[in-house]
Amino acid sequence: MNKIWHLFVPHTSNNHRAYLIRPSVIALFISIYLLNQSLVKSLTIIKPGVLGYSSEITVQKVIDLTNQERLKLGQEPLQYNSVLSDSAIEKAQDMFANDYWAHNSPQGKTPWDFLRQHGYEYSVAGENLAKDFYDTDSMVRAWMNSPTHRENILNPKYQEIGIGVVNGVLNGVKTTLVVQHFGSPLNGVVAYSSPPSASVDILSEASSAPVSAPLISPLQISQFVGLVMFVIIISALAIDGYFTLKNKTHRLAGSAAGHVGFLAIIFILLLANQQGRIF
Amino acid sequence: MSIFKEIESKPFEYVFLAVSLLISAILFFFFSYDPHYQRNVVYGAAGAYFLWSILHHYRRGDLETSIVVEYLILILFGVIVLTSTLL
Repeated sequence: MNKIWHLFVPHTSNNHRAYLIRPSVIALFISIYLLNQSLVKSLTIIKPGVLGYSSEITVQKVIDLTNQERLKLGQEPLQYNSVLSDSAIEKAQDMFANDYWAHNSPQGKTPWDFLRQHGYEYSVAGENLAKDFYDTDSMVRAWMNSPTHRENILNPKYQEIGIGVVNGVLNGVKTTLVVQHFGSPLNGVVAYSSPPSASVDILSEASSAPVSAPLISPLQISQFVGLVMFVIIISALAIDGYFTLKNKTHRLAGSAAGHVGFLAIIFILLLANQQGRIF
Repeated sequence: MSIFKEIESKPFEYVFLAVSLLISAILFFFFSYDPHYQRNVVYGAAGAYFLWSILHHYRRGDLETSIVVEYLILILFGVIVLTSTLL
């Protein structure tokens, strides 16, 4: 009990400095955190698909929310086009198959190649990508916060939309890739059709077994370990600072108030850091 | 609370630090769509805190190597943990 007390409280036995806030112990925390990161990364290589991001995104909801954003600004809603959807699905499948996350594939294939491959002749076209999101609302919000993605969603030149929502394993992590393809047909004839009810494609890695929902994401593990360490260090700093000033101990050390302020801001950002990425 | 006493002794320095960190937090949320920008904001906040620490201890007359190392390690910890969660 006494040992735990001296981890947080300055005393003659610990040279008037709580053990937990010594630079050597913080360095140990860094090492443990990096080791944890390495283990998580190794797990994604040794057992791909054990970790990942679950998702409840549907094609219909992506279209609805996209059109809601357009209607807010008085733009015409986009019409669902099954050919654009096929190209979007193929783009997502290509990213899983070749383990990349970008508009252009490592083989140099552009988004426009996918559109042409499916026979979609366009006058203008665009692509938005998203991954690791749990729900459609936060994904569309993230697109709307990004100037370039927002421009695609609200572009008055686009008349049609196709959505690919595909589950699979990317870089050893289970996830859902969402591809939004926008376009205007070259002949000016807009297709009017409805998205299929089964709106999520499932890709398994080299087997026909469907991908089951992952239990935990690598981000959640990193966030949890980081947050626990932050709580321990901030508590130790606050307790140590309290006793140091209470006992009027003079010692050579950094500012407890400064440290707590800096770590508290990082703690809040870590806590609020959103899941999901867009491209 | 003792930390508040420490702040009371040099209010302007701590107000400057609080404003810098707050601006960094706002920028971090503003660039939520781009992890690359967010990383740069975290590096900026870390640099600002390090500069603040040097000025703070220089003015207090106790700027020593051990203190610089303490700040560097703490900043490194914060930066590593936060940037590793930016995919």
